[in-house]
Amino acid sequence: MATVLKVGLQKVTQSRLFVRLNKYKMFYVMFIPALLFYICFEYMPLWGLRMAFYEWGLFGPKYFKGFDNFVELLSSKLFLVSFVNTIIISGYNLIYGMLAAITFALLLNEIPNGVFKKFTQTIVYLPHFLSWVVVASIFAMLLSPDSGIVNEIIKHFGGKPIYFFISTRWWRTIFVLINLWKGTGWAAIIYLAALAGVDPQLYEAAAIDGAGRLRQTWHITLPAIQSTILVVFILNLAKILNIFHPVFLMYNPQVYPVADVIDTYTYRLGFTSASDVDLATAVGLFKSVICLILVVITNHLSKKIKGEKIL
Amino acid sequence: MIDKWDFSKGNRARLLFMIFNYFLMVVIIALMLIPLLKVLSDSLDNTAFYGMGLIPREFSVAAYERIIKSASLYRPFLISVFVTVVGTLIAMSVTTTGAYVMSQRGLPGRKYFTWMILIAMLFQAGMIPAYMNIKMLGLLNTLWAVIIPMSLRNYNLILMRNFFMDIPVSLTEAAEIDGATPFQIFYRVVLPMSKPALATIGLFCLVEYWNDYFHFVIYINDRNLYNFQAKLREMVLQDDYGSSSVVVYGRSLQNATIIAAMIPVLIIYPFLQKYFVKGINLGAIKG
Repeated sequence: MATVLKVGLQKVTQSRLFVRLNKYKMFYVMFIPALLFYICFEYMPLWGLRMAFYEWGLFGPKYFKGFDNFVELLSSKLFLVSFVNTIIISGYNLIYGMLAAITFALLLNEIPNGVFKKFTQTIVYLPHFLSWVVVASIFAMLLSPDSGIVNEIIKHFGGKPIYFFISTRWWRTIFVLINLWKGTGWAAIIYLAALAGVDPQLYEAAAIDGAGRLRQTWHITLPAIQSTILVVFILNLAKILNIFHPVFLMYNPQVYPVADVIDTYTYRLGFTSASDVDLATAVGLFKSVICLILVVITNHLSKKIKGEKIL
Repeated sequence: MIDKWDFSKGNRARLLFMIFNYFLMVVIIALMLIPLLKVLSDSLDNTAFYGMGLIPREFSVAAYERIIKSASLYRPFLISVFVTVVGTLIAMSVTTTGAYVMSQRGLPGRKYFTWMILIAMLFQAGMIPAYMNIKMLGLLNTLWAVIIPMSLRNYNLILMRNFFMDIPVSLTEAAEIDGATPFQIFYRVVLPMSKPALATIGLFCLVEYWNDYFHFVIYINDRNLYNFQAKLREMVLQDDYGSSSVVVYGRSLQNATIIAAMIPVLIIYPFLQKYFVKGINLGAIKG
């Protein structure tokens, strides 16, 4: 009796599933383009990762060599330099970028709503939408040693022109400043949104209690955007190793010791005359694994701090 | 109500702060604008020496004329236009249909689709396997190698899905009762209701395709297929760095090319600005 019931139940649920599948069949058809995309461009490349474990020739695998590539890259000075540079450059970008964006948002928040505020926002958000090629080109022109405006000013005051982009002393500073120019306005939007959500009654209450603007900022405004700051920090931390485009466009052999990052190193290993595709794949895989670990850790952090996961 | 703009009560510190704050904002605006204005001014200057001024010494539009007349410059521009228009159309079709399916709460297997996207977001194969894959698919040295891989962004898909999920089910159910097929519902009911989300994602797609150079550098060896950004990189960046002071292209032409590469973005920027804050909120609610 029990088995009969069980079989009957199974049949019912099966046919229900069939009914549901039938009902949604058009949706599966609609999903084909997206599915094909994911298979072709997100999942098929994963098969190429096997290169990291082989000696790879022009026409395919020569022989299996296990983790030799990883041993090689961990003992390679070039890789270690690029790894350290990635952390340093991304770290500067992260810290200065956030400080600049938060400060800017706090100050802009003090400007009353109106034409001036709108205009300021319009101008500072704009560079975010310019391509890195355009931004790098603009600064290549402005900082050029023979006719760039910056060196013209230096010369005007009797200084010697500085070769900013090929100087190991200047490169990182210039790089971070250009990143600030491009990204600060955009990064400030999220803080401005959080600031707009602060209840004005809090300020009124604080003012009645005799708190000045500075103390109001410290005790009301900052705590109000604290969780936003943390989430942005965590999200940025998760992608700290992903820095390629700006470096690729602005670096050159003279500044490799201070500017070369993991992705640019991978690019040179894979695509230039000194190519070693299996090692390049290993570098990429190494980076992807660290990124994955970072995301998982930061996701847990976010859960602890905010009580909700990012993912 | 306490007026925070009330300075009458001898609130000197506040007044000083406001003056300082406005001054600082003006400085920031100047810092943002001067690089752009300098490039614009130099692009219109016929003299080889620009100095510190922001006004052309010898006004001339010769550099822009050269861009319009020289095939090696307008061709990349047209390729950029083609890639941007076709790419955005494809991207919108794939993203909206995919997101619409993902938004169906009762769809059997929806969980697996979500996992498929999540895993793709978390783990990338990297530059070299991606290149090998494009090569294997026979897309190397074609514009499709740029257009297709950029068409579906995880972030856009999720944004769009969240938007579709907020559309009341009763509306689509009403159409269903009237006998409309899922595709008809999508096309006639859902899409017309999603104009703000479509505009946001469409505008971002336009900018991304226009600004792309990376796919061109990696997947395209044929310089005749370079887009405007890749051409600009070749003209300014590869020419400028390094010790060689040989300038193949004139300075005004380099500056004019930078401006020309910005113009399409500047044209759609007002529309973008109208939507991007909305887009960010859209993503933030359910990230």
